[in-house]
Amino acid sequence: MRDVAVVSFAQSPCVPANRDDDMAEIVLPVLRDALDAAGLGRDDVDFFASGSHDFFEGRTFSYIESLDAVGAWPPISESHVEMDAAWAFAEAWAWLQLGEGEIALVYGIGRGSLPADLDQVLPAQLDPYLLAPLRPHRDALAGLQAAAMVDAGLTSERQLAEVVARCLAAATANPAAQTSGRPSVAELLAAPYVASPLRAHDVAPFGDAAAVVVLAAGPAARRLAERPAWVRGLDHRMDTHYPGARDLTRCDSAQLAGARAAELAGFAAADAEVAELHTEYSHQEALLVTALGLEKAQLNPSGGPLAGRPATATGLVRLGEAARRIMDGGAERAVAHATNGPALQHNLVCLLAGEPG
Amino acid sequence: MKLPEPVTTMASPLRMEYTYVAGAGRSVFLRALAERRMLARRCPGCAQVYLPPPEFCSRCLRPLGAPFELDGRGVVSTFCVVNFPFPGQVYQPPYVVAHIRIDGADTRLMHLVREVAPERVRIGLRVEPVWVADDELETSMTSIRYYRPVEPADA
Repeated sequence: MRDVAVVSFAQSPCVPANRDDDMAEIVLPVLRDALDAAGLGRDDVDFFASGSHDFFEGRTFSYIESLDAVGAWPPISESHVEMDAAWAFAEAWAWLQLGEGEIALVYGIGRGSLPADLDQVLPAQLDPYLLAPLRPHRDALAGLQAAAMVDAGLTSERQLAEVVARCLAAATANPAAQTSGRPSVAELLAAPYVASPLRAHDVAPFGDAAAVVVLAAGPAARRLAERPAWVRGLDHRMDTHYPGARDLTRCDSAQLAGARAAELAGFAAADAEVAELHTEYSHQEALLVTALGLEKAQLNPSGGPLAGRPATATGLVRLGEAARRIMDGGAERAVAHATNGPALQHNLVCLLAGEPG
Repeated sequence: MKLPEPVTTMASPLRMEYTYVAGAGRSVFLRALAERRMLARRCPGCAQVYLPPPEFCSRCLRPLGAPFELDGRGVVSTFCVVNFPFPGQVYQPPYVVAHIRIDGADTRLMHLVREVAPERVRIGLRVEPVWVADDELETSMTSIRYYRPVEPADA
């Protein structure tokens, strides 16, 4: 395996609705921040990979607009995934593993505010014949998962409130967080349900933001960052399309991705001091802690998605935040997790470390 | 076991409504269209004049300069004749869709060319915009109904 590391991460503050900027305008300042921090110019980048989704944008091939911020003339090498940009990160990492270049830039644009009603949009990701015609509420499948977990004794409503309280308090130190605060567990438990046992604060709040991560191989990484965050292992696995065929109280796909990433990394998520988890709902934290075998990791020190969910940039932010903890010397080993699909259907696990191994 | 007659259709209508965020750059252009004006912007780095103008030059990534008005006339730089009928079509085929290089701009604008027989349209034809009536003006490309030849002799 080639040594590849994150050398830079930047994101724009997650806001409930950005009505000023188009895709290029929202990503360009973030792209500049990320490149400036690594002392790079745009021409130094060998490969661009991005992630966003037309169903959030409401237009076909919407991401093309964002290429105006990359500068696609003269023609560049670039790729896009129609999903969370964490998978663009996976593609860029694989591209560097193939020895195609030295430096790759990954960006994610997530705009959860453009659909007038997410209940119109989110059912479109479900089985088109047996589930989509039912038009389930956006949080209905997560509610089923949370209820099954509470029933199985894997979490409780109080524990969900404790997760939210901890994440919102952590987010007070994160300038990019959309929401933060210090509510008491009792206050949280007094709130009404949106899809029992989930309350509004158990649902990661959708918003708009862009994130940029710069990856570099071997000597370039050492040149560009004082302390690169080495990508030691990465894998992603997908569960079946039909949620009714899954045991929603387990997350086998995250477990398998974690095990495979650990094989590559030479250490496991259990060894990580920091975990940034793509928890779209508070109950998913307990599910992922079990699936990844987390033991000592500080969970979502950024506040995590419960403090801001910029749609398809959310997973890439997890990778960036985990890498940041290594780059700033706060951690030696970190794990980042990203997800796509309903109720943790598709999961990506990335293990990062301060040494290339 | 004999299989039942296969199900071949299932109605599952999807309706999705979105907010369109035009951004700072496009808003300048679209607002002007509602006033029958065409605003272009020049890159201070490479001097390319964009119409419609985004906020940044997509080559240099520099913010474009102040908007300035063009009179909207231009030259057909390429065109095709649409002969194929399709659902939602506004005009009866055959009709002409063209790339038009507006005088003073370095990018091309796509629009219809009408008031001329399709076989008389040629690359290099000088054309001018035909705007909709005052009460139909909108922050949209549809404020220009179509383009037509400048010289009646070309029609």
